[in-house]
Amino acid sequence: MTVEARGLTKRFGDRTAVDGVSFTAGPGEVLGLLGRNGAGKTTTLRLLTTILRPSGGDFSVAGVRNTRPTEIRRRIGVLPENASYPGMQTGAEFLRYHARLFGLPRATAEAVATRLLAEVGLADRGGTRIAGYSRGMRQRLGIARALVNEPAVVFMDEPTAGLDPAGQQQVLDLVRGIAARRGATVVLSTHALADVEQVCATVLILDAGRALASGPVGDVTGRGGGLAEAFLAITTEGAQ
Amino acid sequence: MTARAEPGWWVVAGQELRDLWLGGRGPVLIFGFSVLLSAVTYLAATNQVLNFLEQREAVNLVVQVTVAVGVLLALLVCADAISGERERGTLENLLLTPVSRRAIVLGKLAAAQSLWLAAYLVSVPYVWVLGRGVSVVGRALMLGLLAGTPLALGLAALGLLTSAFSASNRISLAVSLFVLLALFAPTQLPTGPHGRFADVLLRLDPVASALRYVTALLVTGHSWPGELSYLLSPLLTVVLAGGALVTTANRIVNLNAGVSGR
Repeated sequence: MTVEARGLTKRFGDRTAVDGVSFTAGPGEVLGLLGRNGAGKTTTLRLLTTILRPSGGDFSVAGVRNTRPTEIRRRIGVLPENASYPGMQTGAEFLRYHARLFGLPRATAEAVATRLLAEVGLADRGGTRIAGYSRGMRQRLGIARALVNEPAVVFMDEPTAGLDPAGQQQVLDLVRGIAARRGATVVLSTHALADVEQVCATVLILDAGRALASGPVGDVTGRGGGLAEAFLAITTEGAQ
Repeated sequence: MTARAEPGWWVVAGQELRDLWLGGRGPVLIFGFSVLLSAVTYLAATNQVLNFLEQREAVNLVVQVTVAVGVLLALLVCADAISGERERGTLENLLLTPVSRRAIVLGKLAAAQSLWLAAYLVSVPYVWVLGRGVSVVGRALMLGLLAGTPLALGLAALGLLTSAFSASNRISLAVSLFVLLALFAPTQLPTGPHGRFADVLLRLDPVASALRYVTALLVTGHSWPGELSYLLSPLLTVVLAGGALVTTANRIVNLNAGVSGR
């Protein structure tokens, strides 16, 4: 397993944002993290990406325990929710910079930036300042940024939010490609159930910080007609 | 031969320098400073002609303005460095890299020093114009560098600490500016300190102390070793603020302000 969480808990004062969540994900698997607003999806991702420290439980990512956060960061790629990008930098400059932060020498960083820009369909816009990018282009740049270190696990927080249907499709195609061609595990946090049905093999449904259901999409939807119905039924049951 | 990876702080410093100078913020700030220095130099030169200001005092005035403004610029850039990135939403991407938070702040600190050095270099021709004929140009430039560098380093480190702890960028900038003005205020008092207590207070204030060191050597003509004690508090600021920054960086540089945010 490339992602293993056991009893993962995060408290902010009296409030428990993530409450004893356990799950696993394997290589090449796309795991959809579902939940309503405030369910704990972003906090779970921030715990797994070492931005936050857990209050309880433990986890390992790409075989590295959570006690070694720097080593985890070397092996993961992340597309944060609502991440902003320095508008004065060009897309290529941004990717080169991040590749160098991951320890790549200058020349290699240059080559990686060029390759990834082409991979996400921004080859002809690499020299343009990010301030001139559309939201869809920024999301694709963010995905390229998440891949500069050839990660074993990629975490994406609401990657299709605010995109038009064509932009959403481009991003979902990239997600599929990351799992299929690179063999990386993708943990995808989203509100968009249609996205999950398209690209995810397994899901984890969170509500009020607790895991209500997890497993292959087919098993979870077995409770209802489609994922939307199953999601509503599970979260309503959970709330009661 | 395979190329070696560069240290994280070096990569951060390089990008910060590019953002600062090619992004336009640095040149605008230094242009503003050069306009201010031109006005100060003009007034000082005019006063020399009218015999209101002795030539050494005019040079001293330019050095003091250079140190004060150069330190202010480095401090403000650092006060924006963490809290500003938090608000602009660019900090998370940086925190997701394997570069340590200590290396991130060191890179930002190093880049901010370029503003102090640029301000210092801009002042060189002004000092030369005002100091010709009284053989103080070399001494004035050396004193400016000696007094300004530890001040810029120490207060910029303080700015980074403030930025890491501040809940908003506005608070960080306001607190940093207030601290600098409070430290600068004693230098504007019409008379020197009276009594031992006032002298100790002045020596504890790194800005007042450093500027007093420059005046003592440039205008009053005191000896170098005799007045070295004035440099203790600027150096102490570097050790304390820099030390606090380096030792706490991994805990205080977070997505949310303060230690508890993580």
